[in-house]
Amino acid sequence: MSDHHHKETFITKYIFSTDHKMIAKQFLITGMFMAIIGMLMSAIFRVQLANPGEYSILYELLPGGWLNEDGGLNPDKYLALVTMHGTILVFWVLTAGLSGTFANFLIPLQIGARDMASGFINMLSYWFFFIATVVLLSSLFVESGPASGGWTIYPPLSALPQAIPGSGTGMTLWLYSITLFVVGSLLGGLNYIVTILNLRTKGMSMQRLPLTVWALLITAILGVLSFPVLLSCGLLLLFDRSFGTSFYLSDIIINGEALHNVGGSPILFEHLFWFLGHPEVYIILLPALGIVSEVIAVNSRKPIFGYKAMVGALLLIAFLSFIVWGHHMFMTGMNPFLGSVFTFTTLLIAIPSAVKVFNYLATLWRANIRFTPAMLFAIGTVSAFITGGLTGLILGDSALDINVHDTYFVVGHFHIVMGLSAIYGMFAGVYHWFPKMYGKMMNKTLGYVHFWGTFICAYGVFFPMHFLGLAGLPRRYYTNSSFPMFDGLADINEIITFFALAGAIVQAIFIFNFFYSIFKGTKTTANPWKSNTLEWTTPIERIHGNWPGELPVVTRWAYDYSKPGMDEDFVMQNVPLKEGEKEH
Amino acid sequence: MTNLLIALVVILAIAALVQLVRVNELLSEITNEDTNSVTDDDNNKNGILFLLTIPLFLGFVVWQMVTWDHLLLPPASSVHGAEIDSLMKVSMTLILIVFFALTPMLFFFAYKYRGKKGNTAYFFSHNNKLEVVWTVVPTIILTALIIYGLRTWDRAMNPDLSQATVIEVYSKQFDWTARYAGEDNVLGQSSYLLVKGKNTLGVDMLDEPSSDDIVTREVHLPVNKPVLLKFRSRDVIHSAFLPHFRVQMNCVPGLSTQFGFTPTKTTEQMKLEEGEDFEYVLLCNKICGAAHFNMQMKFIVESEEDYNKWISSQQSLETTLTLK
Amino acid sequence: MKKSIKEKALKQLLWVGIVSISMFFAGLTSAFIVRKAEGNWTEFILPDWFIASTAVIILSSLLLIFVKIRLRKGKSIFNLLFTTLVLGIIFSYFQFEGWGQLTNQGIYLTGEGSNVAGSFLYVLTLSHLVHLAGGLIALVFSSVKSKLNLYSIDNCLGLDLTINYWHFLTVLWLYLFIFLKFL
Repeated sequence: MSDHHHKETFITKYIFSTDHKMIAKQFLITGMFMAIIGMLMSAIFRVQLANPGEYSILYELLPGGWLNEDGGLNPDKYLALVTMHGTILVFWVLTAGLSGTFANFLIPLQIGARDMASGFINMLSYWFFFIATVVLLSSLFVESGPASGGWTIYPPLSALPQAIPGSGTGMTLWLYSITLFVVGSLLGGLNYIVTILNLRTKGMSMQRLPLTVWALLITAILGVLSFPVLLSCGLLLLFDRSFGTSFYLSDIIINGEALHNVGGSPILFEHLFWFLGHPEVYIILLPALGIVSEVIAVNSRKPIFGYKAMVGALLLIAFLSFIVWGHHMFMTGMNPFLGSVFTFTTLLIAIPSAVKVFNYLATLWRANIRFTPAMLFAIGTVSAFITGGLTGLILGDSALDINVHDTYFVVGHFHIVMGLSAIYGMFAGVYHWFPKMYGKMMNKTLGYVHFWGTFICAYGVFFPMHFLGLAGLPRRYYTNSSFPMFDGLADINEIITFFALAGAIVQAIFIFNFFYSIFKGTKTTANPWKSNTLEWTTPIERIHGNWPGELPVVTRWAYDYSKPGMDEDFVMQNVPLKEGEKEH
Repeated sequence: MTNLLIALVVILAIAALVQLVRVNELLSEITNEDTNSVTDDDNNKNGILFLLTIPLFLGFVVWQMVTWDHLLLPPASSVHGAEIDSLMKVSMTLILIVFFALTPMLFFFAYKYRGKKGNTAYFFSHNNKLEVVWTVVPTIILTALIIYGLRTWDRAMNPDLSQATVIEVYSKQFDWTARYAGEDNVLGQSSYLLVKGKNTLGVDMLDEPSSDDIVTREVHLPVNKPVLLKFRSRDVIHSAFLPHFRVQMNCVPGLSTQFGFTPTKTTEQMKLEEGEDFEYVLLCNKICGAAHFNMQMKFIVESEEDYNKWISSQQSLETTLTLK
Repeated sequence: MKKSIKEKALKQLLWVGIVSISMFFAGLTSAFIVRKAEGNWTEFILPDWFIASTAVIILSSLLLIFVKIRLRKGKSIFNLLFTTLVLGIIFSYFQFEGWGQLTNQGIYLTGEGSNVAGSFLYVLTLSHLVHLAGGLIALVFSSVKSKLNLYSIDNCLGLDLTINYWHFLTVLWLYLFIFLKFL
């Protein structure tokens, strides 16, 4: 029975909602909005890289003062774009947009709960995120520009406005914004964990949880343990910036002025930052993998292969993710023995990752695949995970990292695992659960065009980057034309920019499809994908408390697809066992 | 004006898209089929596209490897660098094998098992033996790779420095300066508080070893002789990247880092192999501000004779910094 | 959802939140350890005021233990809660005095004569105090509710949460105090 029937006003339904489904959509829309901004930023700086110093019409999108006299982009504003692009995509889109949307939407529905443990705290988690967004975007309009020290904001560059203008007000706003963001994230994560542990419906044991929920649970635990360290890291930076302390600063002369700071170490910052930074990329990846497990199983009409191994792999990846952070710091002059330890743990993490890939392949083997747009993206995720994961073996090996660290090789790697793999997972999730979210279907043909266009363009952008990296080209360079040794790479840069712009335009198809379908899409049926999980037992129109009557009772795991002896090729989780049927 | 036209084009494109979708929907209403349910035809089309992806995608990869191979860095010009190159070859071969095995498998399965009405999937939920196999085999391969990698790393990080020429590389926004330790092969002490006027590196001239130090704006190295580069930074984190030597090390204000190596090919040799325009160069490889993209210093590797000639023609700090 | 499940879930929410806050302090104390190992670290004596504040906060937690006992017996708990709140305020005052004592010793957060050892101490104790402020707010709410007799042993979720959070603040302070005194 629903908790209580309160009168819904516009405000309580759409703005300050405590309903997890509405909050999920708030995260999704905000995430999509930020994704467009982040993507436009990358289009702009890619244009600069293809035509260094020249004017482009895309620059009209920038705030005043970002261009120099001849119409070209200012070098420090190039770095501002790169910084904000990274910040927005890593945190706003792939963390909040991905986890925030799908954890909020799916957890109560897939475990058979009315809502999250605390709808109020859930609502707060979105509004902290919203305010963080406003603060971050406001930094685009300050005179000295937004933060420009890379999304990794290493001090002293990020501590000293004299080192780069964006490290002034822009960086302060960045820090406030991230603090609000992390608080919002933590409030969400708390809810996800406690809800999964306590509010599962009768019969929903942990062993019967869909893999999506496992992935979201483990992601939330990762976040709860690692995000706070970013706050401590940022707090010490705040003190160095605003109160003259020397946690990270020492022996500095900037703009001719000798600073008083002594005894600080920027490497301390790097340790604290990457202690979050590495788990963060798994916070980004694991929900995508969880979504993909679900989408592949449903659309293959077979169980996900190796459910227990998949859960084990998730747990092992999560555990290992805490002890590999030093691989971002191989070239800091750390004790070589420490470097060896991090190489060892980093290459170990390849093992559970490989296990997941093999299990996905085994799921597809002898399947009866239905190519919904979601399924296309799920397959894309696996492809990108293979490609990007393998280059991780090069980067994780400290000796090899000497020559590829901070080059385009690493840019290619992390874009393929995050910008392809994780984003494809997010697209798969949107296409797959859109009918549940909005009661309508997204247009299938537009979905096909979106996938194939994106798939081609994305590999076109990021695969060539490996060659740029092996040619020695560093990242975060305003232009590659200052060193004769890179002159031969100009063509590659142009090819990359071409695919980047084409890929950006293709995304318009998705945006159109998404919003058009919300209003004018064909109405869906209750279970359009013939899926086993509990969310599809709720009414199409969606109500508070999710189920109009009693909560469903679970009798089986989520993967009875094409089970021999059953009437259909799927059996929902709340269907009682047949006479003589054994539970898997 | 152009902006207006572009905006118009975009709006019209969207309008066209809307109409297309509407027409599609209306058509389906007439034919009474659900436009958004996936048909065998859809599965066939996408399955074939995945099949095509195999030669196209892999072909694209191979094309890049072939076309751009000449743009990659030439073989390493240092002792440890040659070892790194070997490790890289082995590692790359390994990942390429895995990539070329798994990627077609994925897309081939997508094609072969494309859905058809009337087909049933095979209910195969797990197989513990398989899990063990594909856990143990990668573990063994990775263990071997790790051991090889760690040996190479250890050798790169712990070279024999007993005979190494010591040179300080000093980074600041936005250039590099080198300081040779001179005859005594000991660098004089320095402090950021001593930076003043011509003493751009803050060398403590009262420290005995400083007087024979030599400050230059390009670095000459004798071939086949070990050198130890010591790094400092004046302002923010920079990173000394010498890609041809496979050398990279962060330059951190407040800390001192180092990297020792032995160059094995002279600049002359490289010019013969790579073209007259070739130069060894030091780049900055850690975001450090607006001109990060243009911090460079030339490195020249030459015969010991030429090196000695050059270094003896340089002036020591005793001459350049002390008032005469 | 059933009230008992909701209560269990909300209590767990607090515990997970406490884990998060602990990780924040773990980050700060790790930074402390790493930095100390690098030298240039002024040693100094912890101000006596911090010993006093430690005693005060332990006392406040003890009082809260009695709160549940009294509530079970149906007796009034307002006095105990209010005293705890007052003790919390006294704790905060003692922290300020402690900082004053530090500046008298020449240990500053920042500035010409400061050392990072001092900076860390201020940051750690200030961070704790900020989290304690949250506890004080919770105590205010609980005190008011207890004055209005809104709690019974079967209906005291807010009180339980306040008490658990306050105990965490005490344990956290003990950890920080011992850490700072002996490291």
